[in-house]
Amino acid sequence: MKTVKLASLSLCMAAALLATGAAQALDAADLYVKKTCIACHGKDANTPILPIYPKLAGQNADYAYNQMMDIKSGARSNGQTAAMKGVMHLVSEEEMRALADWLATLQ
Amino acid sequence: MMKFTTRAAVAAVAAALAGSVFAWNEGGGEQDEALHLVGDPENGRDVYEVCAACHLPEGWGLSDGTFPQLAGQHPKVAIKQLADIRALNRDNPTMYPFALPSQIGGPQAIADVVAYMAKLPMTPENGVGPGDDLEHGQKLYEENCVRCHGANGEGDNDKFYPRVHGQHYNYVVRQFREIKGGQRRNANPEMVEQVKNFTERDVLAVSDYTSRIRPPKELTAESADWKNPDFE
Repeated sequence: MKTVKLASLSLCMAAALLATGAAQALDAADLYVKKTCIACHGKDANTPILPIYPKLAGQNADYAYNQMMDIKSGARSNGQTAAMKGVMHLVSEEEMRALADWLATLQ
Repeated sequence: MMKFTTRAAVAAVAAALAGSVFAWNEGGGEQDEALHLVGDPENGRDVYEVCAACHLPEGWGLSDGTFPQLAGQHPKVAIKQLADIRALNRDNPTMYPFALPSQIGGPQAIADVVAYMAKLPMTPENGVGPGDDLEHGQKLYEENCVRCHGANGEGDNDKFYPRVHGQHYNYVVRQFREIKGGQRRNANPEMVEQVKNFTERDVLAVSDYTSRIRPPKELTAESADWKNPDFE
């Protein structure tokens, strides 16, 4: 009985973990649209609206995260950041992390 | 590509140098051209696709005021603002690339997209202020705003006065501060003069009141859950 309980518990946990993983992957792609990243950086994160805006697909996750953090805080204010600063209140640290991790997985 | 980048850079430098240039409505160029064209809302739908990424398919913007509601806005108002952003007569770095001909097209495309936006039903649930100073806001509105923006906030297409009812509170506050503070260089000088003695309390109160004026029913979507079928 105990074994069955334990087995079903671990099954539940595994299902929950899987669901979380899937939700996170979904979230970042959804965030990319909802937080308006897509408008400037392109549907594939690889075709920015202006050639002087960066391609994000495949970018190192920590690098992307740090740039987002610094643009949001104002620590980075050079280059094209004025265009992005105005929307950064829309994303939390957790969301920036998810976006950065997801962007790194794109080609 | 290279050529374009250089041009953009030159334009940006020119704008920085011309930072103190104020111009309300000098007209000319593309603005005049678009104003005299008949807009085709059907093509406007296709042009609007690029706008929808931020202003949403419904044209409602974000209720937190990050992006304004465009649905229902007067075509001449929208043409003027687009042309001003493109000409760097209104500083909006986020919007700037989307106002470029490479994104939105020439005068006919502008006439088309504003015709499309004007026909979109407005949100019934725009962002409003805290609601704690509305009597003061109403008094200010009646004394200062009615002559141009109308008793109901309806604005005036022919005079380029925007529809302000139903606009998101935070957006109205931001524009108000920028108009009063001189950062919004394409502001109507009459308005700048009219509000020059407004305190911060006045700005917040009148913006809150304005955001709560309801647009007429026939211009508003039946429900806040309405989705634009053109983008399904």
